[in-house]
Amino acid sequence: MTDERGAVAWMRRNLFANRRDTVLTIIAGIVVGFVAYRALRFVFVTGRWTIIRDNLSLFMVGRYPRDELWRLALAVMAIGFAGGAVAGVVARRRADAGQVDERNAWERGRDVVLRTWPVLVVVLLLLLLANTITPWLVALGVLVAIVLGRLLGRALGRRAGLVLVAVAAAVPVVLLPALAAPLGWDEWGGLMLTMFIAVVAMVACFPLGVLLALGRRSSLPALRALSISFVEFFRGVPLVVLVLMSTTALGFFFPQDLLPGRIVRVTVAFTIFTAAYVAEIVRGGLQSVPRGQTEAAQALGLGPWRVTTFIVLPQALRNVIPALVGQFISLFKDTTLVFVIGILDLLSVAENVTTQPDFRGQALLPETFVFAAMLFWVGAYTMSRESQRLEARLGVGQR
Amino acid sequence: MTDTTAPEYADATRMGATGEAIIELEHVDKFFGDFQALKDVTLKVARQEVVVVCGPSGSGKSTLIRCINRLEHHDRGLIVVDGVELSEDIRNIQVVRRETGMVFQSFNLFPHLKVIDNITLAPRQVRRMSRKDAEAQAMELLRRVQIPEQAEKFPGQLSGGQQQRVAIARALAMRPKVMLFDEPTSALDPEMIGEVLDVMKELAREGMTMMVVTHEMGFAREVADRVMFMADGEVVEVGDAAHFFTNPHEERTKLFLSQIL
Repeated sequence: MTDERGAVAWMRRNLFANRRDTVLTIIAGIVVGFVAYRALRFVFVTGRWTIIRDNLSLFMVGRYPRDELWRLALAVMAIGFAGGAVAGVVARRRADAGQVDERNAWERGRDVVLRTWPVLVVVLLLLLLANTITPWLVALGVLVAIVLGRLLGRALGRRAGLVLVAVAAAVPVVLLPALAAPLGWDEWGGLMLTMFIAVVAMVACFPLGVLLALGRRSSLPALRALSISFVEFFRGVPLVVLVLMSTTALGFFFPQDLLPGRIVRVTVAFTIFTAAYVAEIVRGGLQSVPRGQTEAAQALGLGPWRVTTFIVLPQALRNVIPALVGQFISLFKDTTLVFVIGILDLLSVAENVTTQPDFRGQALLPETFVFAAMLFWVGAYTMSRESQRLEARLGVGQR
Repeated sequence: MTDTTAPEYADATRMGATGEAIIELEHVDKFFGDFQALKDVTLKVARQEVVVVCGPSGSGKSTLIRCINRLEHHDRGLIVVDGVELSEDIRNIQVVRRETGMVFQSFNLFPHLKVIDNITLAPRQVRRMSRKDAEAQAMELLRRVQIPEQAEKFPGQLSGGQQQRVAIARALAMRPKVMLFDEPTSALDPEMIGEVLDVMKELAREGMTMMVVTHEMGFAREVADRVMFMADGEVVEVGDAAHFFTNPHEERTKLFLSQIL
């Protein structure tokens, strides 16, 4: 009773305080209610989701040979294992540093769910859409791999460097060739391709961008000029032009035989474009570090490289986390531009499946686009949330 | 040797203490654009000597000590620290900076590192000390500046006085032969000035060579071997502390002292 009285009182105070509030509340309620009704009706009643169910593997992995999907399953488990190992190392180091985790098992589980709920919901949805038991087994395998990785990471906590190097080396050296073996790079598609381009470009553009930012502040005129012209050129060209150039125009400048496949080329295009933006973001961060920090480090006898790596860069990067993550989210979504060169990424699949004989002429684009949009949203939102955690951890704006 | 036209009381080359020079400046000029920040400064500081530099703002005091570890470069003249001449040669600059500790007005602690890591960074990276030794030394220094319990905190969690004491400990961790202080108490609330000055007095008693830019005349009277008055980039008057305060020669010195005492 008291709860309801509290709720009524709250509504009266905040929604119906006077005549104007009442009118606004009613209008807003009608609009929100209508939109919500239409959206829910679409999802649960009018939406014809068979097209997603029938083409689920096309959405996920494109034309990857169905007989070779075990490679992907193993790869996802390996990534889960590696991620678990890194998390384990972090946990161990924090424990060693005397930071006690006071949460009990239940609270810890709740925090993990709260942290990852969009991903969990989508994975569950995909599993429910799948017609077979295999995806469930893979999901279970990934879960086991994460737990095992975490245990290993905790055990190896003191040799953190070793774990990180092993993880960093394993992905490009072992995983990628194993994945590419049955199907050349250029035939990749679906969510898998989108993730591949986005992750590779993010990982590669970050160090490149940092180097360009440092180069732009260098005292060596040649290095400075090179950095400035790189940044200004690639920032001044529309991304879609770079994507088109990567497949078509490069052949005019270089012999075709010497060039890598078009997906590698387009990934390089995304890397270069984003690196130019990252460079400017990082440069802003470098300028935000007070001069006194450099002077204090110099006065202690630290040389230029150590001043940069230990004092200036950590503070600069901490200051630009929000802008950097914004740029990465842009990159993630901009990967959809590969449709202009006929690569079947997640969004292209969403468009193409509506022309299949079974579904042609049924106007199913809303269904497929909503599905693709949901996957993009979950990815972007997860990045945003994780960056907020990172900021909080590093104490941005507090110390 | 030195400029014979300068009056004796403005001769900054007669050292106190041990009489063995560790810092030598000869005819140093420094320009910021057209503005001349240092005019023909000649100065010697002996090992274990404490020299207080005072003067109105803009008189070149800070510029002077920032030239000694080459945070600023001088345009003419000669600066030698512990036998090493400061020039464009980056190796010489590094040698001098290793042997010279500096404490800044605004502390300039590294906000992303814990207090203990602020202190151990340079010894580990520059002196190649092991983490264990560097941390043991850091704790010893923190005990000396009376705040061992703050080791695991971040600078932003400390008071101004505590931060400045950490900054002193950080500089001492390199075991410098000379300590330069650039207005170390000017940014502090009055009640915290004492705790920082106490640490500096202790340091002086232990025989550290110090150059201190400050307006704390009580400190100068108690600790300084010599007090140097600068105005408009020039050394106006130098003398032992007792003499300087009781019997200044120059009108400008008298005026300055009457304003701040």
